[in-house]
Amino acid sequence: MTSMSERAAAPVPAGQIHDLGYRRYDGPRLGRSQILRALVWHSFRSAWGFGRGTKAKVVPILMFIAMCLPALVNAFAVARGNSPLFGYDVYVPTLRIVVVIIFLAAQAPELVSRDLRSRVLPLYFSRPLRRGDYPLAKYLALTGALLVLIEIPLLILYAGNIASAKSGHGVWEQTKELIPGLGMGLLWSVLMAAIALVLASMTGRRAYATGIVAISCFLTWTLSELLIQTEGGVTSVSAGAQLGGLLSPFTIIDGVRIWLGGTNEGLDPYKLGHYGPLYGLVALIVLAACLGGLAARYRKVSRS
Amino acid sequence: MPQTAVIETRALTKVYPGKTAVTALDGLTVGVAPGVTGLVGANGAGKSTLIKILLGLISPTKGQASVLGHDCQKDSAAIRILLGYMPEHDCLPPDMTATELVTHLGRMSGLPPTVAKERAAESLRHVGLHEERYRLIGTYSTGMKQRVKLAQALVGDPRLLLLDEPTNGLDPAGRNAMLELIARIGSEFGISIVVASHLLGEIERICDHLVAIDGGRLLRADSITSFTMASEVLAVEVEEGLAQLEQELARHGLAVTVQQRTLLVPLHSEDGDQTYDMVRDCVATLRLPLSRLEQRRHQVEELFRDEHV
Repeated sequence: MTSMSERAAAPVPAGQIHDLGYRRYDGPRLGRSQILRALVWHSFRSAWGFGRGTKAKVVPILMFIAMCLPALVNAFAVARGNSPLFGYDVYVPTLRIVVVIIFLAAQAPELVSRDLRSRVLPLYFSRPLRRGDYPLAKYLALTGALLVLIEIPLLILYAGNIASAKSGHGVWEQTKELIPGLGMGLLWSVLMAAIALVLASMTGRRAYATGIVAISCFLTWTLSELLIQTEGGVTSVSAGAQLGGLLSPFTIIDGVRIWLGGTNEGLDPYKLGHYGPLYGLVALIVLAACLGGLAARYRKVSRS
Repeated sequence: MPQTAVIETRALTKVYPGKTAVTALDGLTVGVAPGVTGLVGANGAGKSTLIKILLGLISPTKGQASVLGHDCQKDSAAIRILLGYMPEHDCLPPDMTATELVTHLGRMSGLPPTVAKERAAESLRHVGLHEERYRLIGTYSTGMKQRVKLAQALVGDPRLLLLDEPTNGLDPAGRNAMLELIARIGSEFGISIVVASHLLGEIERICDHLVAIDGGRLLRADSITSFTMASEVLAVEVEEGLAQLEQELARHGLAVTVQQRTLLVPLHSEDGDQTYDMVRDCVATLRLPLSRLEQRRHQVEELFRDEHV
């Protein structure tokens, strides 16, 4: 009774923090690689709008549907006895560069500009992760998100084709074509994620970041297509046309595809001449430059 | 807890290179004992640079620093497991709830998923955020945001908290609440705390020790009691007869100083209420109209200034 009345006599003042006792944590702690994995997973989810509001899911999901639709149409077409509408290695370039650009322009800023804008990075850098781990995690997450965006439609395409395959040989033929297609998807993801992130990490203003990614993608693409078409004569192809593809990441990737023996025609077929290896080299240089730029960007951010 | 220093620096120097090279820290040698320590200095004194070196984010130009026995340059990853850091500026994404953010940052501190969730809820409760923690941070008041910043520093169960200007942007009531909270974390949670602030008068209330730096150099490092022993004074104001009273008090052996219209009489804790009685008696004897009699603390700034001019 006395303790009850004492408690009642001493009401908790407004705004006081209730103390239920501080508990120490002596359990296991995750190592750096596990923390990195957690950040990759967290970022991958936010690349698809999960863990955010409904609005954040609109663009990525719409783009995913837009990517998958042609593959579904193909499945119906093949089932009706038509020949396949798309080759695996040109599925992305033929119709869906625009979809990839929109996805990157919307979601790369989601991964990096938000954190820059709200200046949340010191909270990461004061934790066990090393300085390069943050951009690495963001890069892996966006690459993963692009892989999902690009490879799943290919698998749908594949499923649609083999569902109508008449023989085991037909399935084997499809599988043989699918593998380089998946390889191209990987190249797309690896290269485009690096380019989009380094561009988006230049500014914390999301609208600007979206603009920078979208405009640089469209602009370089248009430039290089212009060059290829104006220089590429009917009878002879000039060096300008052969090298014009180096101006934009999409045509670089397509150049690599042709160099590696891609047989299907891309959006704008052009001959590379002897410059095939150069396309491969430029792809590597662009990738290295973007990843280096990203690392340098965050080295600077962590000090400020 | 053993009484080893939580932070030790030796001749720590940081020069930011450039056209006009800036020396942010200039041969700073200081040890910080466990407990709540105030790191005080004007803006630009080198507080933030020191914190960044302790976190291993920048390396010193010269000298050494260690935190909880780990070298800041060689072993910064080990240090960051043991540290909780609350930055000075805004650092919270507006479009996440406090629970989501603190849980995620708990994961980033190396906690397993379920532990991160539990500890996020606990730390938010410790700082006084209850149902609000499910709201988006963008809807919070400044005081609530400061609490979230403190909660994220606490979530990984650190052994040392580095708080950079934790009362920034708060109103007086908010300041008091935040200071009380910090004092409680220091005394009840058993976590050592370094509070960086440019407001001495504010943090001296909650600190066991003070480290004062200026221009990247150590002004003074000592326990708070050695500062406050000499710092308490009794301010006496009378409506007339100031000079008379001064003479009378001096006659009784008090070291009176005049500051404009106020008499300042030093208080010594060992004297108890004697000084008060003496002042009262003198005023009564002289029949002066007393208008103010209050205990006052010297601004610690003044103490630093006095000793280093």
